[in-house]
Amino acid sequence: MTALLTLAIYSFLAGDNPVYKFAEHLLVGLSLGYSLVITVKSVLVPQAVSPLAQGDWPVLIPVILGGAMFLRFSPRLRGWSQIPLALVIGAGAGASIPAMLQARVLRQMGATISGSATLDGAVILVGVATTLSYFVFSREQTRLWGRGTLIGRYFMMVFFGATFAYTIMSRMALLIGRVEFLLGAWLGWL
Amino acid sequence: MLGRRVIFGVLGLAVLGVLCLRPHWRLSVSPSTQRVFDTIAALDSGAVVMISFDHEAASLPEVGPLGEAIVNHCLRRGVAVIGLALFSEGTAVGYELLAHRATALGRREGIDWLYLGYRPQYTAAILGMGENIREVFATDYAGRPIDATPLGHRVHNYSDVALVVSIADGSMATYWVEYAGVRYHARIVAALSAVMVTSYIPYLEAGQLAGLVAGFRGAAEYEQLLEQPGAGSRGMAAQTVAHALVAVLVVIGNIEAWSLRRRRRTVAGNHG
Repeated sequence: MTALLTLAIYSFLAGDNPVYKFAEHLLVGLSLGYSLVITVKSVLVPQAVSPLAQGDWPVLIPVILGGAMFLRFSPRLRGWSQIPLALVIGAGAGASIPAMLQARVLRQMGATISGSATLDGAVILVGVATTLSYFVFSREQTRLWGRGTLIGRYFMMVFFGATFAYTIMSRMALLIGRVEFLLGAWLGWL
Repeated sequence: MLGRRVIFGVLGLAVLGVLCLRPHWRLSVSPSTQRVFDTIAALDSGAVVMISFDHEAASLPEVGPLGEAIVNHCLRRGVAVIGLALFSEGTAVGYELLAHRATALGRREGIDWLYLGYRPQYTAAILGMGENIREVFATDYAGRPIDATPLGHRVHNYSDVALVVSIADGSMATYWVEYAGVRYHARIVAALSAVMVTSYIPYLEAGQLAGLVAGFRGAAEYEQLLEQPGAGSRGMAAQTVAHALVAVLVVIGNIEAWSLRRRRRTVAGNHG
């Protein structure tokens, strides 16, 4: 079954066809079904159903708030769905903004500046400064500023090139994994 | 002009041929992989490593060998492993891998390893475990209270965990850095699919990651350090040949594009 479905997916290389479509839809359906079952089994039952069955009534509050999310499908009661949504967004922003600012901005700035004494660090500093300068759209990219932004573009191209190469590496790994499965586990040639 | 079906065919045959020939190439180990290996090798026997399977089933051919190598290393060293998943599809994959390797190495469930299962909403889960793991996972994957197991009983939050390893095919490892690393000072290692490497190098360079190991190459290097060849080592030879072939095809494509442009210019010149 696994081997046939693998071949069905790879049949897309010869062109779009019903066999590929069937395998694609099956994959999406199975993934969604699996996620639903695992969420019900690992989260809803132990965190909501079991406590309620044991009389742990405060659990009703998050259960009602979670249920209220679905009210957005009702044109008349849609407004109520904004209460849990506001809570989720508020709590999410409160937790995320300080953490992201610290991890993605302050620590990265600190590392870029503190490492600039070495040749590697200096190259990184130049790369960061010129790449950022490229995104200053309120200033015309001419003369010295324009040369700086051009260097920034080259740095970005190096990044895109490296990312593309790694992407090929990843996709090739998936191909190798499937070919190894077909030759080994299915045909027994390896 | 080479048709795309010819290119797919040649690439497929190259991969097939190398996998059948099974050449064994020794690799030079990259400093980032060495760092991950050394970090785990330096842990005390009995220390706890938390391994989060944050990937989809579709990425298994690539991240599976990485997970297997790291789990093998931890269990062989006598380091206790707590597994979990923040991606629903990683749940069964992580459990199977951990249970299979632990059984093969004679490690006991609940003492040497424990699998907590899946929790959605990664922000709440990662932050919650920083306060108290049992508030997020009151029971393990099998439904036993985690306090009922000796390993679960001695682990309360990240201060009891020597290392967190996120095996990810996306950006989940950055959330471990942002929430567990920044707020609770947990040490994080990222084991990634190759496509994510360039996004994570800044975190490694800034010292926010204790180590980074990625793709078939990373798995093959790790297997070499463990002296235990596996799927990573087998796939690396095929990947090297496929890469060389892609490079040749890129050169051919560029030559063809260049000659086509030249011909067009010549035709335009003749008409002008």
